[in-house]
Amino acid sequence: MNPGRELAQLLTRRAFLQQSVVGTAALGALLNEQSAMAAARTIAPRAQRIIYLFQAGGMSQLESFDYKPKLQALRGQNLPDSVRRGQRLTGMSAHQTTLPIAPSLFKFAQHGQSGAWVSELFPQTARIVDELAFIKSLHTEQINHDPAQTFALTGFQLAGRPSLGAWVSYGLGSENKDLPAFVAMISVNKRGGDQPLYERLWGSGFLPAQYQGVKFHNGADPVLFLSNPQGITPASRRQFLDDLAELNQQNAARFHDPEIAARTAQYELAYRMQSSVPELTDLSKEPERVLERYGPEARKPGAFAANCLLARRLAERGVRFIQLFHRGWDHHGGLPGGIPSIAGEVDQPAAALLQDLKERGLLDSTLVVFGSEFGRTVYSQGALTDKDYGRDHHPRCFTVWLAGGGVKAGTSIGETDDFSYNIVADPVHVHDLNATILQLLGIDHEKLTYRFQGRDFRLTDVHGIVQEKLLA
Amino acid sequence: MIRDQALFVSGLLVEKIGGPSVKPYQPEGLYKGLASATYERDKGDGLWRRSLYTFWKRTILSPTMQVFDASAREFCNVRDVRTNTPLQSLNLMNDVTYVEAARLLAERAIKEGGVTPEQRLAWAFRVVTSRPPTEQELRVLSRSLSGQREKFTANPQNAAQLLSIGERRNDARLEKTELAAYATVMSLLLNLDEAITKQ
Repeated sequence: MNPGRELAQLLTRRAFLQQSVVGTAALGALLNEQSAMAAARTIAPRAQRIIYLFQAGGMSQLESFDYKPKLQALRGQNLPDSVRRGQRLTGMSAHQTTLPIAPSLFKFAQHGQSGAWVSELFPQTARIVDELAFIKSLHTEQINHDPAQTFALTGFQLAGRPSLGAWVSYGLGSENKDLPAFVAMISVNKRGGDQPLYERLWGSGFLPAQYQGVKFHNGADPVLFLSNPQGITPASRRQFLDDLAELNQQNAARFHDPEIAARTAQYELAYRMQSSVPELTDLSKEPERVLERYGPEARKPGAFAANCLLARRLAERGVRFIQLFHRGWDHHGGLPGGIPSIAGEVDQPAAALLQDLKERGLLDSTLVVFGSEFGRTVYSQGALTDKDYGRDHHPRCFTVWLAGGGVKAGTSIGETDDFSYNIVADPVHVHDLNATILQLLGIDHEKLTYRFQGRDFRLTDVHGIVQEKLLA
Repeated sequence: MIRDQALFVSGLLVEKIGGPSVKPYQPEGLYKGLASATYERDKGDGLWRRSLYTFWKRTILSPTMQVFDASAREFCNVRDVRTNTPLQSLNLMNDVTYVEAARLLAERAIKEGGVTPEQRLAWAFRVVTSRPPTEQELRVLSRSLSGQREKFTANPQNAAQLLSIGERRNDARLEKTELAAYATVMSLLLNLDEAITKQ
């Protein structure tokens, strides 16, 4: 659009508000946005929104979905070099003189019509296994949490790039004008797990800030500074906003700056959020049977179950990207003792979420992803005993599941060797997963770019192959 | 800088140079769930130093700064990014920092800005934007002041609540509903696009 005409049109606030909720006038940003819109419309979307259930710490694939019965016979043996193939070890197990193979102490069984193998730690997930598409062959190069999580969610191991959610928000915007397009929520295993998460995992990087994720906090104000200060009534705040808009509008007429109208729009969105966010978190009208489905922690603010319920409510209200994090999967030691508790915290709520979405007719249009930043080693970190072992980080293969919009339910792609150490069929790199996620949302991952530092960046950098086998 | 401006115009800014980092206002429990450290807010001067001196945690930026695109120091920023988000609006309207600054600016307006409301509002407008208000603008501000004054007079407990936000207390001799009304209009000034954007 002709910038001159654009400016003239933007002078009327109404015209501006009619066009878009957020807008930046700098020509460069305008071009970027137009390219974003173009990229977003080249593919028919299979899902309108996404809920990403990120399991932070590195969930063990050997204790969840990657069944390796042959390990029982190899218990205690040193991991052969032919299997390890020079894979670098972390500083935590590099000093070990042996790398003893540790079969899982947990039982696996097949479930559903698809016959998927699921461990006893995920009984509820097992019941809905026919909705899921497993990727057993996900792999990354990153071996520690910060770079791996950053890579999984921003496409690069160093900080500074926009998160997956920010890219999606940039490409598709929000379906709801009263709530942010991208929301992040964090929960943590009751037993601890004090590994930090980083704001960059839901940040906007070099994209304009309006695409950042809004992190909900547990406490009085789910969104920071949402509530008016004590003593400012809604009426007072409404008058404040009207007066502010009028003063800013007079300024806009004088300076012809379209940014001013954009700012007014942000104040109005902030005002609407003051009602829409409390309405979102008000569970009083949720039927009891729904709350029970999510388990005992459904009402506990800050628990994974409560966040899953909120995720469904956010999805219903048209929020585009809902990012959950559950921390505490980093079982370097004491794995058999530690993992049941955290698996219990996520198994039921995740399954309930899928069921809930399905019942409301939302599952077909919602993509749900359940995954980690990497997997865990087949060898024991620390001593292997009858009842105890630990596992170190393992980037070469791990498991993720997807469900919902556009995903081929009841399938599994990719295979690992008998040690769950190497991939033997259909490797899927994290870039490939991200390319596929964007594809399902209707975005061509190669076309959604943003010019920064002279380069057209994209989430998948110069990589990423859409995994057709996953698509229904 | 937006925070510094608010502190400066309200007279809260402590212009001490140098010394260890300080810890100004921050929402409760911000680090919870993200890191194991806790944030102990300073009392007194530490709250009102230049933002330059604010304690910097790389992975969890102070929301006041982060929401206005303070660099997370991950890339070299040669040019400032221009952004607009509802989070910025919420911060400027509801953050203790700005509510307190508005209260103190209101006090200054009453004491230093002249005698009539118009004089005081014009004074405050000039202090915040470096220019005198137009007639139109002054009309809006006066109307705003009357409107807010009415509301606080009808519910004086709101005035008392508003004036208790933040550590620094206002002059106890000033009439509370009047002060609260001015404080709301001062907050308006601090939220003006002109006040927070460099033209």
